[in-house]
Formats: sequence, C-alpha cells, structure tokens
Amino acid sequence: MRLFSFQSFYEKARNKEIVAGLSLISVAVILNIIFGYFAMIFAFYLSFFKWDYIGEMKFVGLQNYRIVLNDIFRGLKGAPYLLAPFYTGLKNILIYTAIVVPIQTFLAIVLAAFANQKIRGQQFFKVSYFLPATTSSVIVALIFIWLFMKNGFINYVLTHTIPGFQPIDWLNDRNYLLLAIAMVAIWGTSGHFMVSFLAAMQAIPKDIYEAAMLDGAGPIRRFFYITLPMLKPMITYVVVMGTIGALQMFDLAWVMAGANGGPGGAGYTVALDIYNEAFTRIRPGVAAAKSWVLFAIIFTTTYIFQKKYGRQER
Amino acid sequence: MKRISTILLVSILVLAIVGLGCIGGTTQTPQTPQTVTVTQTQVQTKTETKIQSQVFIRFAGWSAGETEMKNYEKIIKEFERKYPNIKVKYEVIPQMFHENILASFGAGVAPDVFYVDSSWAPIFIDKNALYPVSELASKEFVDMFYPFLLKPFEKDGKLYGLPKDWSMLALFYNKKIFEKAGLTRPPQTWDELLEYAKIITEKTGIPGLAIYVGGFNRYVPVAVSNGAPRPWFEKPEDASWFDNPIVRETLKWYIDLYRVGYVEQTKNGKKPYVVQPSDVGAGWLGDAFGQQKVAMVISGNWMIPFLADQFPNFKYGEDWDIAPVPAGKKGRVTMAYTVILGINSKSKHVKEAWEFVKFVVGPEGQKELVVKAGHTLPSIKGFENDPNLWPQHKKTLSFIPQYKELIVFIWGPKSGTLESKFSDAMASAMRGEISVDEAIEIMKQVVQEELGG
Repeated sequence: MRLFSFQSFYEKARNKEIVAGLSLISVAVILNIIFGYFAMIFAFYLSFFKWDYIGEMKFVGLQNYRIVLNDIFRGLKGAPYLLAPFYTGLKNILIYTAIVVPIQTFLAIVLAAFANQKIRGQQFFKVSYFLPATTSSVIVALIFIWLFMKNGFINYVLTHTIPGFQPIDWLNDRNYLLLAIAMVAIWGTSGHFMVSFLAAMQAIPKDIYEAAMLDGAGPIRRFFYITLPMLKPMITYVVVMGTIGALQMFDLAWVMAGANGGPGGAGYTVALDIYNEAFTRIRPGVAAAKSWVLFAIIFTTTYIFQKKYGRQER
Repeated sequence: MKRISTILLVSILVLAIVGLGCIGGTTQTPQTPQTVTVTQTQVQTKTETKIQSQVFIRFAGWSAGETEMKNYEKIIKEFERKYPNIKVKYEVIPQMFHENILASFGAGVAPDVFYVDSSWAPIFIDKNALYPVSELASKEFVDMFYPFLLKPFEKDGKLYGLPKDWSMLALFYNKKIFEKAGLTRPPQTWDELLEYAKIITEKTGIPGLAIYVGGFNRYVPVAVSNGAPRPWFEKPEDASWFDNPIVRETLKWYIDLYRVGYVEQTKNGKKPYVVQPSDVGAGWLGDAFGQQKVAMVISGNWMIPFLADQFPNFKYGEDWDIAPVPAGKKGRVTMAYTVILGINSKSKHVKEAWEFVKFVVGPEGQKELVVKAGHTLPSIKGFENDPNLWPQHKKTLSFIPQYKELIVFIWGPKSGTLESKFSDAMASAMRGEISVDEAIEIMKQVVQEELGG
C-alpha cells in the first residue's frame, strides 16, 4: 500500500497535462502575483498607514481616505489647483477621457474599414497606421512638444491654411495644453485599436455580405447594417480598454506638461498626483489611498459599461 | 524522450517556485545591501590592521556635472589604495535625489553613505536615519568646520553629519553687456537691480536678469534684507510669517519681476527684461549666463566651475565678474547652501563608512575635491588664503563681511517639502495664473497642513 507518489500521480494522462500546463504558465503567473496582486494588496494595506519610508508605519485608519475626500470637496468648492491636486487631476482626466476615447474608437473603425479594402498598397497603410503604437510614448511626446511649439510645425500649417489664424502657444496656454495632449494620445493609440477592429472585421463571415449584395445593399449600407453591428463586442472591448488607459494616463502628461502639470495645472492627471504624493510629498499612505480611489472609479465605470453594452446572449 | 521532456518541465516548475520564494522573501523582509566577504589569499603587509575580509560600502550622490563625478572617482581610487580592505561603490542619482534615498530606505536598500542637503536634514535626523557623527569624530576634527554650517545638522547635542563643502549666492554680471548699456558698476540695491535690468534690455535688447520661476529660497534674501524675520516653520501658527507686511510687499516685488518683466512685456509685444532660463533656451541659470543670453543672474559658487568648464572663452575678470547680492533697506543678506555626507544609521559598516567620510570631508579630501577642482567653497577653516583656491571663489568669500546675515537653507523640520510647495505657488503667481494674495493664502495653508499633525 503505497501512499501518494509523484510517479503514479504523473502517469495519468490528464495529470500530465495539468503538470505541463501549470509549468508553462508558472512564470507569467508568478510575475503577475508579485507585481500585480501583491502590489495591489500591499497598497491597500498601506493606505491605512502613515509612513515616510524611514520610520515606523503608523496606523491611522481612514485618515488617508479623508485627505483624498477633503481634496475633492475643496476642489468642488473652487479651491486653486495647488490645494486640490487630486480634484484637478480627476477633472482633467475625465475631460481628457471624454475627448480621447470616442475619437480614437471612431478613427480606429474608419482606419480599419479602409485597411480592409482590397486596394493596392493597403499593407503600407496598415503598417503606417500601426507604427505610432510601436513607438515609445516618451519619444512621441518629445517629438510632439517640438511640433506644438509656438513657432512649431503645427502652428505653421494652421496659419497657412486657415486665414486669420493666430498662432497658439499650445503647451504654455492652460486652455490648450490638455487638448494638445489628447491629440497626441489619439494619434498614438488609434492605430493600435485599428488592428483589433481589423481582426474583428476579417472574422465576419463573407456569406452575410454576399447575401446583402444580392439584396442590393451598397457598400455604405453594408457597412452600417452589417459591419457595425457585427463589431459591437469589439467596440465594447476597445472603449473599455481605451477608458482604462486614458484614466491612468501618466507618461504623456509627465513629458508634455511636466511633473506639476504645467501652467495652471492644466495637464495634471491623477496618476501624476499619485506619483507626486508618493515621491515628492513623501506620503505613500495617501498615494496608496489615491490609487485605490482611482481604481474604484475605473472599476465602476467599466463595470457599468460592460453591464449595459457588453456581450449579451442573443 | 518523453521522460526527459517531462523532467524538464517539472524542473522548470520547481525552479519557478524556488524563484518565487526568493523574490517573495526580498519583498517582504527588507534586507540591507548584500555585503560580499571575500577571503583574501594575499596577506596584506602594508596595512596596519590585519583585516581578513573586504568590505563594500555604497556611496550615493547627485551629479553637478561630469567633472565632479570624475573627481569623486579619483578620490575613491585614492581612498581604496589607502584602505585596501574597503571597496566603495559610487552611485549617481541624477534627479529627485532625496526622494530616491527615502524610497530606498523604504525598500531597505539605502546606501551606506549619501548626500543630505541642509533643507532635507531634519526629515532624516528626526527619523534616526543618520548615524550621529559626534560619536565617531574627535572634537578636534569637528572644530575644523565653520560652526554655522553645522547648525542644520545638530539635534539634542548630537551632530549628524559633516558638510562636504558649501556655497553662497552672489550676483554674476556680464561686463561686456554692461558696457554696451553704458553701466559701469554692478547694482547695489534690489531696486537698482530691477532698474539696471530694464536699462540693459532697452539699450541692448538682451534680457537684463534671469531668475527661476518659483524658487522660494532665492526670494528669502530679498525679504530678510528688507527687515523681515528669517522664515522658520515648526508649528501651524508659524504660517503668520506670511502676514508680515514686509513679506507681502517683497513677495509681490519678487513675483512681479517675472509677472511684469516677462509675461506682461511679451503680451504687449515688448522685449522681456526678466526671463527664466528656458525662455532663452537654456537649462539653468548658469547655462543662460554662460551663453551670454542674459546680463545678470544671482546664483551660487557651483556656477563657477561650470562656466570655466563649458565656456572657456567667456573669461572671468574680462567678460564677467562677481558682486555681492544687492542690499535691501536693512543691508545685504545672502543664502548659504551646504550638503553633508551622511552615514546610514542602519548600515552594517558604520566604521568603514566613517573612514570614507573622514577621508572625503577631511582636509586632504577637501583640498583635492573642493579647493583644487574649484568646485565650491571648502567647509573647513584655513583654506581662505590657500594658493590653490580659485580667485572667483576667493572673491565670493571676501564679500562675507558685507553681509548682515548668512542664511543657511533650512526652514524648519519640513523644509524640503515646504520649499517645493512654496515654489509651486510662487510659479503659478509669476505666470499670472493667481494673484499674489492667493499665492500667499496657498502658502499659509500649506504650512498649516504640513505641520498640523
């Protein structure tokens, strides 16, 4: 009567598969546990403590969350941005998301529709649309800083195409900075989501199109009555992913607006604020609380969106 | 074949689990930097101490340019020759230095020896992050240093670090541009400084003065030289410093330098007479001055080696000169900046770290690093008339009798954080986004929040 031995356990075909599968995914899972879940749980733990990295952690209960809520209330009452940084970041990032996500989704569908045609040289278009997605965002931001300068290329083109156009100081004007960052984001991410839509379009069965053509539907009607409805799950996915990405935007703002969000805090984002809280104001507890508040916001918005528009069993 | 592949898979899994154990271990139990003990086969004959193992200490600093880093590497080599049992690993952190060091304390991997600026010292001292030097150094050694430089690093009768060097603000002015504008001497008062800046821009088109947008520590001399008390914030009530009418008046004057001198001037299509470095495509004040894009800057001794190094054709004495900081109604006031080499209190090698600190901040180290390299001002007495001391530095030292006060950069237990928040508010007002009164309100609230528990 032998007890459990690895040998006999392993002999069974199903167990073989389990062992093989587990060992293949083990590296990814372990990394995810350490850098994803452990970090998340530790941040949650940290958000109840006051700490300055050197001394002891001091339990303060919900005080860090109170600081965040105070910040938001103060901002709602119209305090200047230096006293309500989290509120400023939240306000900016919501405006930014409202600009970026619809436009990038729309653009991605349009680009995918063009790339899906059987035209000569469409491969070239596919590659050129996708290139921004493969470029480092910091490099992209640096190049756009140069284009957005007051005497830069963008103002040059606009003044020469629109009569009576006055050059805008994009990066130093608080009314235009966020718009400039949003434009860069749209330019950089549309190509990436185009690929998702392209894959979805190519998965649409051809016979549906053929049936529609027999019924006499033109290309425009085919697009609106077949392509779009068939893309619906993919649109949901892209909007959700785009929203998550936009709400967490850090790199573009960091480079284009600077760590303090540029003039009047116009380019300040929540992620920048979390960074500043942790590493310049040296309040990691508050930073963790802010991270969790941001997580709650992202989670609820995407959850509601998924519930409303997500995959429904037909 | 199958057997081999399954064994492989299983071994990968086992390895991964072991790896997780290791990584998880380091994330949960912060460990001090690994110390490698290498048993030496050679018997050291030259050293007096018969130490059988080598000790590694980590030393972190920020970088004030290539030359400084090279000089440090040189001095480290010399130190290692003298103390063969100690190896020093030099790490340069280019940005957000103190924040990085604090974060490394949090992760339990802080270096053994690191720079600490006077403004950040209280945070490190209050948390017992620094090993008290007074327990290591002899009284004679400590007495070699200027006492006013030691003040920021003292607490409860203990001394927590020795300054590696120091600097003070002075007025740097471009003689050639002054001649073009028909000016013969440097400005003597704050009002004259502004007047000169306007004259220079009018006559030559070159901006007269460059300042930092923000920069609370550069404004403090203006306030104190006009009769305001020195800023010190220990408790929330200390925010009342900003209610002093002199403070309000001088702060408005300082903010208006840029708000009027640049923002309004450019709005009206006129040439600005005050700029910040980036307005003229420069990285910092020294860079703007060296490129001769501005006529005057108020900056510290660290600018001197930079100018000599980067702009060798821009000569001291012929093209540019140094003058004391302009005077207010109550005389002249300047800022002093100093940095210590702190020893990590949690270090496993305090003795070796102290040997290294003693070597660097002691007379031999300072002679090499500070005096000969012309880096800044030596913090040890007795070098004032050293033949190797650069004439530019000597000149700044000669101004000391003219100053009513030398303010060492520290505003109380939270200076580092306060400085950056004050500067944010000032920058916002300088760009014309908020009024001066709003900026003052913000600064007061910052003090109350930071020090109110």
